[in-house]
Amino acid sequence: MLNIRNFTILTEKICQNIRLLSAAVPQPSSTSNNPLASTEVSQTVKEDVLKHPDYFNVHNLFTVKDLFEARVHYGHREGSLDNKMLPYIYGSRLGYTIFDLDKTAEYLRHALNIAAHVAYRGGIILFFMRSPQNAHLVERYAKECGEFAHTRFWRGGIFTNAEKQFKAVTRLPDLCIFLNTLNTILTQHTAVRDSAKMGIATIGIVDSNCNPNLITYPVPGNDDTPIAIELYCKLFKEAILRGKAKRKEHLEL
Amino acid sequence: MAGSRLEKIGTIYSRASGLIQSKALNWEDRPLWYDIYAAFPPKEEPRFDRPTPNIQLKQIFYQEDKIRAIFHRNNKKIGAVHLNSKAPSLTQRFIETYTSVNQQYKDGEASEEQLYKEAIDILNRQRGVITVLPAEIEDAEEVSLSGAFKEAQKKQEEQSISIKDIFKD
Repeated sequence: MLNIRNFTILTEKICQNIRLLSAAVPQPSSTSNNPLASTEVSQTVKEDVLKHPDYFNVHNLFTVKDLFEARVHYGHREGSLDNKMLPYIYGSRLGYTIFDLDKTAEYLRHALNIAAHVAYRGGIILFFMRSPQNAHLVERYAKECGEFAHTRFWRGGIFTNAEKQFKAVTRLPDLCIFLNTLNTILTQHTAVRDSAKMGIATIGIVDSNCNPNLITYPVPGNDDTPIAIELYCKLFKEAILRGKAKRKEHLEL
Repeated sequence: MAGSRLEKIGTIYSRASGLIQSKALNWEDRPLWYDIYAAFPPKEEPRFDRPTPNIQLKQIFYQEDKIRAIFHRNNKKIGAVHLNSKAPSLTQRFIETYTSVNQQYKDGEASEEQLYKEAIDILNRQRGVITVLPAEIEDAEEVSLSGAFKEAQKKQEEQSISIKDIFKD
């Protein structure tokens, strides 16, 4: 038994050495007159960036008044309320749920910070939207910040069976931003579950009829009104662009 | 790459940490969001089985809702409200005048009906129209389902349409 354990430890060490070697090999070649000399920010710089509570200054992107004017506080009817949303809701006004915008602002700032950090580290970000009214808007904003959007019918297995579907090794996104977490028939978007399955972090605007449990960074708020969607798109675009700008700066490109 | 697809167990972070701890996943190959999550964890753990909080939904009411209710009970047809205009709506103007009238009296000196009448008079004078809004609460038009039904019945009786007449020609 001991022998076997020793053997496994030994093989692991060898494997690690091989890994180190393979990681070390491309370095000399890349330093010699290559314009893409450094493709990754050094680990120490990355750690310093993470220590700052708000490195990309995302807190000044919006105010609570902006949220109010974009009608983020409007929820659905009381009858369609998901009880898991209760902590984010201020109350019910004549049958309609109203979000607590102070809480929404807190969660949104947190989510914007995450989006900026993922963009800074060169992650792939994918926007989701399943309302036909706002689909083009989301696609446009995703294009403007150089990221991706999926606003059409979700074929099952795009994440979970990617290699078969795309007939190649596929890099999945590192962050999914759901601008609404429901699909067109008011059940949860399959990609919410699939991202959790594949270990992808998610940010999601959750309305009063949504389930926030599987979303890593939920943002309570109205997910139907075009003005509100446009506000979210603008904010996430700005946060991502700030992250990318810092990345460019640190890579000295 | 090793992964755990059991999304109902733990969180994405706990599953990734487990894989790293058991050396199924190398520390260098950890997901891109892993360090970010560790530095900025979400306010609530994103667990599938997070219990539903036991919070009562609060009803939002304001002081002036009572005045608003009196106004709308007695005036059913007050027209449409332009939501984008900055000018105060008819209801808002009524509430303003009602409260200002109420402030002129001491507590309990004027009855609700009296205050309502005075506020309506002021509003009507402001508008320059003699009687648009009925001042008397009793005069106010009562809109109810049974009332509407009776009215419709009355109309039908007045017209006295018989099917025979329709198909005569």
